Amino acid sequence: MRRKRTSMLANGRRTAPALLSLFVCALLLSGCWNSREVNDLAIITAAGLDLNEDGHIELSVKIYLTSSSSDSAGSQMSGAPDGNKGTSVIRTVTGINMADAASRLQKMMSRRVFWGQADVFLFGERMARAGLEAPMDFLMRHIASRERAHVFVCDGPAKNVLLLSPSIERSVADALVHMAEQQTGLNITMMDLAQMLISKSKAAVLPIVLITSGQGEQESFPYIQGVAAIKNGRMIGRVNEDVTRGIMWLRNEIRQATVTVSPEQSDGYVSLHLHRSQTRLIPKIEGGRWIMTVRITGQDDIVENTSDLDLSVPDHIGKVEKELEKVVNTRVKIALEQAQKELKADIFQFADTFYRKYPKIWEANADRWDEIFPEVEVRLETDMRIARPGLIGKNFFRQEQR
Amino acid sequence: MKLSNHLRENLRRLRAVYSDCADVVFHDMVIGGHTPAMLVYIEGLIRLEELDQHVVAPLRDGPGPNPALQDIRNQTSVASVKTCGTIEETVEKISGGNPVLLVDGQNAALVFGLSSWEQRSVEEPTAESVLRGPREGFIETMRTSIAMLRRKIRSPKLKVVTLHIGTCSRTPVAVIYVEDIAAPSLVREMLSRLKRIEIEDVLETSYIEEWIEDNRYSPFPQMLSTERPDVASAYLMEGRVVVMVDGTPTVLVAPATFFSLLQTPEDYYERYVVGTAIRWLRYFFLAISLLGPSLYVAVVSFHQEMIPTTLMLTMARSREQIPFSALMEAILMETMFEALREAGARLPKQIGSAVSIVGALVIGQAAISAGIVSAPMVMVVAITGIASFMAPRFTIGIPIRLLRFPIMFLAGMMGLLGMILGVIVILNHLLNLRSFGVPYMTPLAPMQSRGLKDVLWRAPHWMLNRRAKR
Repeated sequence: MRRKRTSMLANGRRTAPALLSLFVCALLLSGCWNSREVNDLAIITAAGLDLNEDGHIELSVKIYLTSSSSDSAGSQMSGAPDGNKGTSVIRTVTGINMADAASRLQKMMSRRVFWGQADVFLFGERMARAGLEAPMDFLMRHIASRERAHVFVCDGPAKNVLLLSPSIERSVADALVHMAEQQTGLNITMMDLAQMLISKSKAAVLPIVLITSGQGEQESFPYIQGVAAIKNGRMIGRVNEDVTRGIMWLRNEIRQATVTVSPEQSDGYVSLHLHRSQTRLIPKIEGGRWIMTVRITGQDDIVENTSDLDLSVPDHIGKVEKELEKVVNTRVKIALEQAQKELKADIFQFADTFYRKYPKIWEANADRWDEIFPEVEVRLETDMRIARPGLIGKNFFRQEQR
Repeated sequence: MKLSNHLRENLRRLRAVYSDCADVVFHDMVIGGHTPAMLVYIEGLIRLEELDQHVVAPLRDGPGPNPALQDIRNQTSVASVKTCGTIEETVEKISGGNPVLLVDGQNAALVFGLSSWEQRSVEEPTAESVLRGPREGFIETMRTSIAMLRRKIRSPKLKVVTLHIGTCSRTPVAVIYVEDIAAPSLVREMLSRLKRIEIEDVLETSYIEEWIEDNRYSPFPQMLSTERPDVASAYLMEGRVVVMVDGTPTVLVAPATFFSLLQTPEDYYERYVVGTAIRWLRYFFLAISLLGPSLYVAVVSFHQEMIPTTLMLTMARSREQIPFSALMEAILMETMFEALREAGARLPKQIGSAVSIVGALVIGQAAISAGIVSAPMVMVVAITGIASFMAPRFTIGIPIRLLRFPIMFLAGMMGLLGMILGVIVILNHLLNLRSFGVPYMTPLAPMQSRGLKDVLWRAPHWMLNRRAKR
């Protein structure tokens, strides 16, 4: 079709397209300077920091292998990960500090080191005992690393944990993240750790990663057990699993718990599953006495009853509740004992609680906190309720009750 | 030029006008046995039988000698008879399909409204089909289409103003509005804009659309086009103006707003809950169709830390063997997709299916297994493709499909920053745009709380006071 038309473009209108094309050209000048394609990245999923004999930092990183030689195009298309073995590699470098080690790591890599997906940071025990200030500065300052990454202390060198490849999860990082998020043990992120380290109490806790003593690499896997207590940036001790539960009660971090109690005058056990709990710290300073009231409230379900109690009777429920409170109190007391008397580290952040309520008194006594903390009088007010005793009252499978 | 009293003189002029026009018939006749006359018409544009029966036959026996024009007129039994006094008018009437009778001794001609031509029957418009609702669509003959509107709005307030556009084609164009609902200023503005058009022919409404729209350089349509009488009458009742062009079933509705372009008749025919849900789905996929590939490109080549770790590792794995950058890959695939769509649209149905099979194989299966493009990219392109078909009107889908490319480019250059820049530029443009003085983003900007109930959700009919939109 013929279409002849006088130009609609006045002279002024002509400048607009010209300007536009100039802008587009300017855009091209910058190119894609900041662009990093995914296949130019070495994606770090977990990093471990150890201290070697010379006092240098040994940085080990677990790098996800995006290409494996056995991987054919066909299996890529279906997207099925072909087995779990060999999907990651470990690279270890040594440097005088974190930044030095990180830059040495880059020198060893054909691809750009990418910290953005590093979800797990492991500190070797030596490293933790020597002090976390130096690496923490790098990790918090570096733009690419995440504050939401999970932090652990390893029983032994961190590299050993990274070398594992647990068969259930895609990588050891995945496994540790999921384990931490279940909150059966402590779940501390980089941000939590930083907050604890700079808090008034200057004490922190980190979960400890242990390795099962299995045969061969396939069978051994990491798990979280126990707590490393950190004071003034240095690991000063570790506590066992029972005390860990007490610490978690005090830090209001209990999310899942199954407690088995043995009520008096009833042979057998009652197991309870905690489905909600809250811990409140109420500070009080009374005539030079520093008092901390710990109010723990919780609601439980009964999951198993092998005792002869009939749990449809309110009195019996009360009995079990009493017993449960006793158990919780015991655990909390053990934890307090350990923290106040042995570690002398305020891992429950009592200092901040006091500071918030009595800022002036605290400031006046800030230097003496290390002396005050072991003497803080802790009053426990535990209130456990059984919310759902279950569908049956007594255990009617017990022979003598038939 | 006035018609003369002499038939011969008039005929000489008409024959000169219609030289080399084999389809123009000059039918010689004698009225009442003595008055010479000439019937001029165009073959195929008139109802010949009725002309014979109601004009030719009665006039043969005709009135007595030296009849007045009124006598001749009374002799015929045709409802619509007009007189015209100039050559130009006569020519226009003849060209419009009306038989004209020139009588010796009369300086005026009789025009019989007996024009008729072959026309398509009323069918359901394929581009705007609905599951529920009327299934008729406008046809190419304007007067039939106007009648369809009149059947929907049986009120004398439905006004139809006709004019002719096209210096050569003299195409009839109708401006239709409902009095007291449509703003008189809008009607005036529409008529004055139409009169400013200098064009030789009008074959489709788009010819005049480009002449009368507010911003001639915008990729966005500033007028709505529809083939459905129910849609047109709904807009008429909202106070908008409909422009109809003879020879095309598509009519224009003005003013149009961005959100009116995203509405379908079925939004109003289905239950309002369903209508609302579908509307939101449409908005969401509209955003995807504009930003989908850009977001993917930006995230994959700049912001890897934004993707959840597990997804990131899966994506990294699938991108490993790909020789192209994400941007190249996206542009390649999107262009391929657009090409396939265009190829499919222009082909007959039988061949079209072959194209889609080859296309599915090429851009789907084969490209991935050959390691040319990554599987996530194909997914993104596919989702974007589906999303772009969610646009209820082709005219709004097209600019969004086109703008996808510059935004993709910006995303590939500057990541999310570039993408946001692109969106800001587009939003700025949309906010600046006006359609016949109405801001394009009404009722969102400027905010009109009353209009929002037909945008954020489709309020039930008893709550919708659609006139408020004006």
